Amino acid sequence: MAALSLALGTAACVQKAPPELVQAVERLDRELTAAQGAEFAPEEYAKFVEHWTAVRGRMLAEPDVIRLPWEPNSLVADLRKVQEQGTLAVSTATQRREVERQQAEARLTQLEERLQTFIGNLDTMGGRVVLGRRPVETELLAKQARAFFEQGQFSRAHRTSQQAATLLDHQIERLGNELGRYADERRVGTWRNMVAQTVNWSRHHRSAAIVVSKADRRLFVYRNGRAVASYPVSLGYNGILEKRYQGDGATPEGLYRVVRKRDRGDTKFHRALLLDYPNSQDRRRFQQARAAGLLPPKATIGGQIEIHGGDNRVLSETLGCVQMENRQIDALFDLIEEGNPVTIVGALGLSNAVSLALAELEQTDEG
Amino acid sequence: MKHWLMLGLASLFLLTVACAKAPTDKLAAAEQAVNDARTAGASTYMTEDFAKLEGLVANAKKEIAEEEGKIAFLRDYEKAEQLLASAKADAAKLAIEAAKKKEEAKVAAVQAQQAAQASVKTTQELVAKAPVGKDRAAVEAIKADAEGLAASLTEVQAAIDGGDYLAAQTKAKAIQDKSQAVAKEIQDALAKVGGAKGKKGKAGK
Repeated sequence: MAALSLALGTAACVQKAPPELVQAVERLDRELTAAQGAEFAPEEYAKFVEHWTAVRGRMLAEPDVIRLPWEPNSLVADLRKVQEQGTLAVSTATQRREVERQQAEARLTQLEERLQTFIGNLDTMGGRVVLGRRPVETELLAKQARAFFEQGQFSRAHRTSQQAATLLDHQIERLGNELGRYADERRVGTWRNMVAQTVNWSRHHRSAAIVVSKADRRLFVYRNGRAVASYPVSLGYNGILEKRYQGDGATPEGLYRVVRKRDRGDTKFHRALLLDYPNSQDRRRFQQARAAGLLPPKATIGGQIEIHGGDNRVLSETLGCVQMENRQIDALFDLIEEGNPVTIVGALGLSNAVSLALAELEQTDEG
Repeated sequence: MKHWLMLGLASLFLLTVACAKAPTDKLAAAEQAVNDARTAGASTYMTEDFAKLEGLVANAKKEIAEEEGKIAFLRDYEKAEQLLASAKADAAKLAIEAAKKKEEAKVAAVQAQQAAQASVKTTQELVAKAPVGKDRAAVEAIKADAEGLAASLTEVQAAIDGGDYLAAQTKAKAIQDKSQAVAKEIQDALAKVGGAKGKKGKAGK
């Protein structure tokens, strides 16, 4: 009996956790922290954590449990189970994190490309002022999304990109509402008729006439019904819009006449041709807009719309006028007489700079 | 009779000694400690450690449930109590560490906010000097940008107030970067015109 006890005592083992197995599980634990296991594989991570804490607790509480040789080492079996769970959690978290990273990156890249196209087209069509501070807010969100992405905050990067994309959609929609007339067949048709009327007048009266295309930012001079010159111009700071009231920075559209020629000394803009804005149609439109509550309470219709030169040294303000280089207004000044027509239109055809830019923007629209 | 009395006393003794009580107070205390750690920002700033803490409490609850499933006098809550004590101690440590990290994030956010505010102020001062002239549209756009930047500073403050320091920091950095770009745009324009200031336009238009 004593011999049997001695034999059993010698053969019995102390249950210990193999250090290499413990280290392997600890390594998985660190890997899971790096792979943001709690965020990307919450269920798998929770299982791992639950079992790992339980086994670790046992390792601390029962360091010297004696087992007989034929009894399985349950601590090793449990550690292996934890290792399996950890491996699964690491793999799941890494995979999901990578998917999230790719999705966030794709979203962000798409947003940044859209934004670039948007800003480029906005400048082309002169619509930046129309949108006020909204473009900068969108740009800030895009930058913020990029920062989140670079910090590994892929979900936040994705959400912020989405937010910026929604803002961008609204801005494109607003531009479409404000500038859609440049792509409107009837409106463009009306403008073409106005131009034809002006050219006919020039032909019949064997005199000079002016046509300004806002979309092209160009002034055309006709003599005897034939185009003889064209010059680049700049418009009011919000020139692409229809003028509604004084100070809105828009350049009016309509059939006007030169009512006064202002030579050097009579204007601070080198030389100027004063137009008969507001004419009867402008007054009617203004009254209608006022009645519809579309104008600020103290808005007035304004006046003093000119085609003028620009003195680079003193820097003139363009609040709705058509501005040219001094040497070009010199050439125009000699051709034009008081009473000559000046027709200002949005565009000369459907394929104009604004409609093309709008179409390109609408193609990028996700909404 | 004597036997019955002995048996009764023995049963009473067993019931008194062996029927351990579930550590509900300790569980509540551990859960409170976990909540405190969460409030201190552990779930945000030490996500994985916080998940482990929750794992500890889950283990303790499981252990309690297992013991409760046993015959009364066989119940032993010692292991659950150990787990809960461990969770409570870990939660306290985590709360301190998370609070430290949160404070660091706050300091970084406030610094970024101050840098953004200074940058926007510089830009606004430059906007006041912006050449009003030939490209009035560009100047108006710059003004709108500056207004947008100033308005966005309120979002930084809101994020700080809401404890979202990462959002505050990233937004502030974006504002600062854009503000510097706008300032450069104005400086370039000023350099082109030799710093000339615009004249007031005439009435009308």
